[in-house]
Amino acid sequence: MIRHLTRKAAGWLVMIVVATNVTYVLAAWFLDPRSNYRGLRPVRTEEQIDHALAPYNLDPRTPLADRWWHWFSNVLLHFDWGKSPVGASVDSEIGFRVVVSGQLVTAATLLSVVAGVALSVFTASRQYGWWDRTTQLVSVFLFNVPAAVAALAVVFAGIWLNQHLGWRLLYVAGEKSPDVSGVWPTVADRFRHLVLPTLSLTLLGYVGYHLTQRSLLLDNINSDFVRTARATGLTRAQAIRRHALRASLIPTATSVAFSIPAIFTGAVITETVFGWNGMGQYFVQTIAKNDVHGAVAVAAFGAGMTAIGAILADVAVVVLDPRVRVR
Amino acid sequence: MATTVTSLPEPLDPDTTAPGPAARAGGGRLYLRRFARNRPALFGVVLLVLLVLFSVCGGWLTHFSYTDVDFTALTQPPGGTHYFGTNQGGNDVYAEAVHGLQRSLVIAVSVSVLTIVLAAVIGAGAAYFGGRVERLTLTVIHFLLVVPSFLILALVSHHLAGDWRVLILVLTVFGWMSTARVIWSVSTSLRERDYVLAAEFMGVRPWRIILRHIIPNLGSLLIVNLTLGVVATVLSETALSFLGFGVQTPDVSLGTMLADGSGTITTAPWLFGYPAALVVLLTLSMTLVGDGLRDAFDPSSATGARGGRR
Repeated sequence: MIRHLTRKAAGWLVMIVVATNVTYVLAAWFLDPRSNYRGLRPVRTEEQIDHALAPYNLDPRTPLADRWWHWFSNVLLHFDWGKSPVGASVDSEIGFRVVVSGQLVTAATLLSVVAGVALSVFTASRQYGWWDRTTQLVSVFLFNVPAAVAALAVVFAGIWLNQHLGWRLLYVAGEKSPDVSGVWPTVADRFRHLVLPTLSLTLLGYVGYHLTQRSLLLDNINSDFVRTARATGLTRAQAIRRHALRASLIPTATSVAFSIPAIFTGAVITETVFGWNGMGQYFVQTIAKNDVHGAVAVAAFGAGMTAIGAILADVAVVVLDPRVRVR
Repeated sequence: MATTVTSLPEPLDPDTTAPGPAARAGGGRLYLRRFARNRPALFGVVLLVLLVLFSVCGGWLTHFSYTDVDFTALTQPPGGTHYFGTNQGGNDVYAEAVHGLQRSLVIAVSVSVLTIVLAAVIGAGAAYFGGRVERLTLTVIHFLLVVPSFLILALVSHHLAGDWRVLILVLTVFGWMSTARVIWSVSTSLRERDYVLAAEFMGVRPWRIILRHIIPNLGSLLIVNLTLGVVATVLSETALSFLGFGVQTPDVSLGTMLADGSGTITTAPWLFGYPAALVVLLTLSMTLVGDGLRDAFDPSSATGARGGRR
C-alpha cells in the first residue's frame, strides 16, 4: 500500500517537473519581455534593451536552451524562481500569494466535495421527489454559469446584503483589511473576506460532484449488496450511507484530482473580480507584463495543487477500496 | 401523440414500440420522437433558435452598430432608442449584445466542430492501433488534462490575441483531450467487432477502417459531445475574454462585455446583466439539447448526468 502510494507520488512529481518545464519553454517563446522597455523615455535601442534584460536571464540573444538551464538549475539548487523583466524577485511575490490562493482553492475544493456528495446522498434516496428535482434543476443551471458571471453575481448579492444590514458584514474586495491587529480580530477579518470568494467558487465546483455522485449512487442503490445490507436490519438511509455511498465514492475520489485545474481556473477569475492578491491575479498580471518567470511559477503552483489533490485522492481510494489495500 | 405520454417520467415507451416494423424502418424518426417527448430538451431547442435568430436578425431592429459611439448618451439606462442602454463610452449595449452573441456563437460552434473531428481521429486512432501508440496518446491526454491548461491557453492566446480566428485555433488545440478520452474508451470495444475484423482480413488500410467503420459507429456519441463542447467552449471563451486574453477591443464578445460591466454592477447593472443573461441562456439551451439528444440516443442512460471521465 505504501509502495503503491509512493509510486503514484513519484509519478506526480515527474508530472510537475515536466509541466513546469513545458510552460517555461512556451512562456519564453510567446512572451516578449522587451516590450516592457519599448515605451520608456528616452527611447532605447533593441540592443540596450537586450542588455538591460541580460542580468535577469531574459536576454533574447542567449539561446533558449542556455536560459532554460540557468533558470532550471537556479530553481533546483536555490529554489530561486528568477526575476521579472524589471528586476523584481518572483520569490518575494509568490511567498504570500501561495498562502492566499492556497486557502481559497483548498476551502473551495473541500466545500464542493462535501456539499456535492451530501446533496447527492440526500437526493438519491428521494429520487424524482420534489427536493431531487429542484436541486437538480439548480445544479444544471449553475453548471452553465461562467465563473465570471457567478463571481459578479456573488459580489452583487454581497453588496445588497451589506446595504440591507446597514454595516459591512462581508467584504467584496481584497483578502484582508490593512489595519487589523490581534489574533482573533485577524482571524475574523480574514474570514469575512474569505466567505464570498469561496462561495462563488463552491457554487461552480459542487455541481459536478452532485450530478455525477447522484447517478453513481442511483446505479448502486438497487444492487445486491445494498439489498443484503438492508436484510441485516439497516434502514434504507443507513444502507445507502454505509454501503452504497462507500462503493460509489471511489470514482468521485479519483475525479477530485481532475477537477482541481478547473477550480484553479475559477480562482484566477474569482481573484480578479474580488481583488485578491493571489496567484491567479498574479498570473493575469505576469502575462500582461510579459513576465516569463512569474507566469511559470504560477503554472508550477497550479500543477503542484493538482498533484497534492491527486495524492490525497489516491489516499482516499486506498481507504475506501479494499481491493487496492490488499495489493 | 406526445401529449399523452409526457406524464410518464421513465423512457419506457420507446423500448416497447421499438421492435415494431415501423420503428425499425426509421431510426432517425425514433430518435426524433424520443427527443420530442423530452420537454426540457424542446425548451432548449426553442431557446437556442431564439438566440440564433437574435444574433442574426437582432441588428435589423436598431440603427446603431456596435462600433458607433453616441456622445449624447453615456451610461444611459435601458429605454428609448437604446433598448439595452449604453456604456461609459456611449456604445449601444443592444448592438454590442447582438454582435457579441454572434461572435461567441461562431467561436463556440467552430471550435466544437474542429475539436470533435480532432478528438474522433485521435481517440479512434489510439484505440485502433493499440500498443505503443495508444499508451503514448493516453499519456499525452492525461498530461494535458492535469496541467492547468487554461494557463497555457492564456499564455498562447495573449501573444496571438486580437484575432478571433486565431482564438478558435488555440481553443481547439487545447480543448480536444477529454472528448478524445471518452471516444477512445468507447472505440476500444468497437475495435473488436466482427465487421472491423472482417475489414482487416480483407486488407482494408487502417485509416480507412477508422474513418469508414469505427468513427461512423460513434455517431451519437459525437453529436452529444458536439453540443456539450459548445457549452465548454462558451465558458472558456468567456473566461479568456473576461481576463483580456481572448477577444479584444474593438471587437466585442460576451466575455469582453462582462469585463466592461464588472466595474459598475451597482451603478450600471444593465452593462453586466444583459451579457450575463445571454451567456447563461446560450449555455443552458445547449446543455438541455445535449442531454435530450443523449437520452434520445440511449434511453437506458440515467438522464445523462454522468461525467465523461472517471
